Amino acid sequence: MSSSTTRNRKDGPSTSEADATTSSASLGRPNDNNVAGTVPATVTEPNAPSPDPTPAKSSKIKPPPPEQQSHVLRRSLIIASFWLVVLCLGVPIWWRTTTIYRANLPLDQMTSWADGKSCNPVLPIRVAIASPDLTEQEVQDLISTTQSNLDGIPDLPSLQLRLEAAAQTSLEDTPESHGDNSIPLVLRLTQGDGTMSEPMSSLHTLFPILEITYPPSLKPTPETKSSGLATYITAQLRNTFAEEQAILSYLLGSSAISSDRQQSSQHTIDESLSKRITRSMKYSGTYHLTFSLFTSGSSPSSWDIDSAINEYMQPVLDMLRPIHNFTIDTQVQLYAIPGVQSQVLTKEELSSFINAAEWPLSPSIGGAPTINFVIYMGNQTIGLNTAEETSQSWLVPQWGSVYLLSPPAAAHVPSELLKQPVLTFASHLLSLLGTPQSGSLPMRLSTLTRVRSVDMVLRASSSLGSLARLSLALPSISIPSSVAEGVAKSIHHLELACSALGSTDSLEHARIAETEAERAFFEKSMVGQLYFPDEHKVAVYLPLLGPVGVPLVMGLITEIKNWKARRQQKA
Amino acid sequence: MGFHDTAGLYGAAAALRLALFTFFPALPDLLTSRVEVSTPVTSFKRLQEGLFLYSHNVSPYDGGVYHQAPLLLPLFSLLPNASMYPFFTYLVYIVVDIATADALYQIAESGEAAASKLFTSARKDRRWSGYVVAAIFLFNPFTIATCLGRPTNVFTTCAILHAVAKAISGHPLTSMLALSFASYLSMYPVLLLPPLLLLAYDRQNATNRVDSLVQFSLTAVLAVVACLSTLFTISYLLTGSWEFFASTYGIQLTLTDLTPNVGLWWYFFIEMFDSFRSFFLGVFWLHLSSYVGGLSIRVRSQPLAAITILLGIFSIFKPYPSIADISLSLAVVPLFRHVFPLMRYTFFAASTILYSAFLGPAFYYLWIYAGSGNANFFYAITLVWSLGQSLLVSDLTFAILRDEWEVERPEMAGKEIRQI
Repeated sequence: MSSSTTRNRKDGPSTSEADATTSSASLGRPNDNNVAGTVPATVTEPNAPSPDPTPAKSSKIKPPPPEQQSHVLRRSLIIASFWLVVLCLGVPIWWRTTTIYRANLPLDQMTSWADGKSCNPVLPIRVAIASPDLTEQEVQDLISTTQSNLDGIPDLPSLQLRLEAAAQTSLEDTPESHGDNSIPLVLRLTQGDGTMSEPMSSLHTLFPILEITYPPSLKPTPETKSSGLATYITAQLRNTFAEEQAILSYLLGSSAISSDRQQSSQHTIDESLSKRITRSMKYSGTYHLTFSLFTSGSSPSSWDIDSAINEYMQPVLDMLRPIHNFTIDTQVQLYAIPGVQSQVLTKEELSSFINAAEWPLSPSIGGAPTINFVIYMGNQTIGLNTAEETSQSWLVPQWGSVYLLSPPAAAHVPSELLKQPVLTFASHLLSLLGTPQSGSLPMRLSTLTRVRSVDMVLRASSSLGSLARLSLALPSISIPSSVAEGVAKSIHHLELACSALGSTDSLEHARIAETEAERAFFEKSMVGQLYFPDEHKVAVYLPLLGPVGVPLVMGLITEIKNWKARRQQKA
Repeated sequence: MGFHDTAGLYGAAAALRLALFTFFPALPDLLTSRVEVSTPVTSFKRLQEGLFLYSHNVSPYDGGVYHQAPLLLPLFSLLPNASMYPFFTYLVYIVVDIATADALYQIAESGEAAASKLFTSARKDRRWSGYVVAAIFLFNPFTIATCLGRPTNVFTTCAILHAVAKAISGHPLTSMLALSFASYLSMYPVLLLPPLLLLAYDRQNATNRVDSLVQFSLTAVLAVVACLSTLFTISYLLTGSWEFFASTYGIQLTLTDLTPNVGLWWYFFIEMFDSFRSFFLGVFWLHLSSYVGGLSIRVRSQPLAAITILLGIFSIFKPYPSIADISLSLAVVPLFRHVFPLMRYTFFAASTILYSAFLGPAFYYLWIYAGSGNANFFYAITLVWSLGQSLLVSDLTFAILRDEWEVERPEMAGKEIRQI
């Protein structure tokens, strides 16, 4: 206020001067000179406090003349022009741009998958019985008795063993006859000679065949209903699949599927199994294997890793081919200093042996997770609890494996020297992939396929369930159509996987379902909105729209008030 | 009012620019790379990129660098290569500056600012001649820096001022043509259409007058639409696709290029939540355009004043402002010399603008090169810059309205006023 009066005082002379010069040009109003004379007089009071002049003036100054009709109209038009922009353009834009797009998600289906209602995680396993010594009728009897025995035991709730007579071809030990995975296990019953009293069983190492030799006394006859042999077979099957059942129980128990459906939840999961599962890698369709040779000095500087891998590792990789793909790279690093320098490594020191800061073990090349296999050439050994016993390798959970090798004389490491390390790596690879430990290799791999597909189905279901809960819990989160597509695709593949649970196809479907469900859940535009409460909207809108809105609204209100007053005056 | 009056002035301005180009050969390139001079939609460097692609028969919009109107390309490809023979480019920009100054000279000489058809200011004799106004424009450091930095919005400036000059001299169709060119180049000048229409309507020649405002506006709008469609069609034929819409006007509408500039938009939209981005783009554009209607109605009697105030508002609130915009808005302010005594904050506004003009480059340096500051430094100074400009604009608006009011109530001249 005071500043404007002083400013005005400065202006006073100049404006009056301007007026004086133009007064002749303007329409010759009567009190023009009067104005020019009075203005300096009213403002020359030097230090008048600002509130003072107002009452003094108000008595002197006559009230302002009534507003002209055209001015009133003009003001209404101006206010209308601003409000026209707000209402005709602003509101539609606000509506268009801030409506939250929520694609329709099949919430019921998603929750039913997460609750395990859509898929019964029971693996049908066909077991064929081949018995060249028995007649067809005897085999049928044996099968029906054993089947009823199997159905009676409660130990295998997640597995549904179905016995059947083997086709003739599966008796030959050719790879072709076992090429299809539809029959994971063949029982081959042979009659032993008279010397044996107890039946014996052994797993074939190359094919999924359980050889059972039984003494002639147990040979099933129509009278005995073959109960002795049937009991024995039942027990053998139970042992064979015990580990698979244990793993499945563990998975089901740790997943979100409600536990009341499974009797197995009370099934005590032993600690070693849980340890083994936690140290295996997260499932992926492709793994990247890195073979690294670290030496403490300048030699050896080359190694025959290519032929060693081809010779000792490739067979295992080939067997794993239906489940995983592998890419391989190798490297040699000289003058590598391990994280622990002591001669004999204790168990505690093993965890810090890898010099993660300096060794170039890149976490992942491409999209696939990396499994590291490290051979360290040095004089160090591993001291176990018992003083005299030493070992050379250890497995790092979810990371890879390390092998300590004493340096050869030459600068080149021949393939023969690498045999033991690579074989160790092959077995560690199987552990890292979560392969069960008991049984022959084909059995372990087929079990791995089934376990992994159940695992993937469970993961995908739980992701879908989380997404369903999320979309219910946050009504203001936008759901782009890509999420809905991902969910639909995931459910479709889950259904396919579930319909053929346990097969290689089902693993593939389950993997796709899991990827899609994860992608839908971690959709970028949704993650950003996870924490966006409604109060934030005030913070977004108010700083800009508040200052803009106040004059708009106040203008509208005064205009409406004036209009009302005028109407009352007229009336 | 003849060319011999101003030939000396124009010659001096051209000589000054040529001297700067010649004796400081590094200066044009330095200014071209300054964010205060070159914005993504006007930069001369980006024009070179577009030109290179165009001359190699690749769509100039490939690569997302060039965001300017397609018709600039054949114009500049007629010139010799700007990096080898920069003299011709300099010449074009100097000529454009002088053409702009000439338009300004005509506007000032017409006296429209102080005495329009519907309103005559009591102070109308107190004004600067066209010579002075043109000189203020030509020797304004912002104008000179713009000329040296060679952004393409000097063409827009030239077209806008010629549109105003033609409207005043009673050539409505030529005026609309010039406005269409300005809109075609920079899009935002289309918002000047309503006040320019009123100006042209008021100053029609007596010989072929159209008395109905509606009929006049319809004809003029039709002329603008026809002219713009022709320009768009030529652009389409030139580039072979309609993608120039998205790459030129789309960029201004959606602000996808967030290169810092002296405006208020870039920082705001860097910080904006993604889900509200499109809404606030709408808000900002509506804010920019909402003044047009209100101002045209309020200062209906002085359309040139409405245009002046709008140019000031645009240079504050448009998406990619640069000092070329303030040089335009400062160019038309001296036309209102007669209301200067009524302005209250001239010192404050001028010192704020000077303060930020000097501190802006310093803070940009601290942020980008020295690394001892951050984006907030530069943004704070652009806020001060905008504050200075908005003070100037609001003060000018106040002075114009006060001037109008004093004609209505001469007994109140020079007295303190209070809003009631």
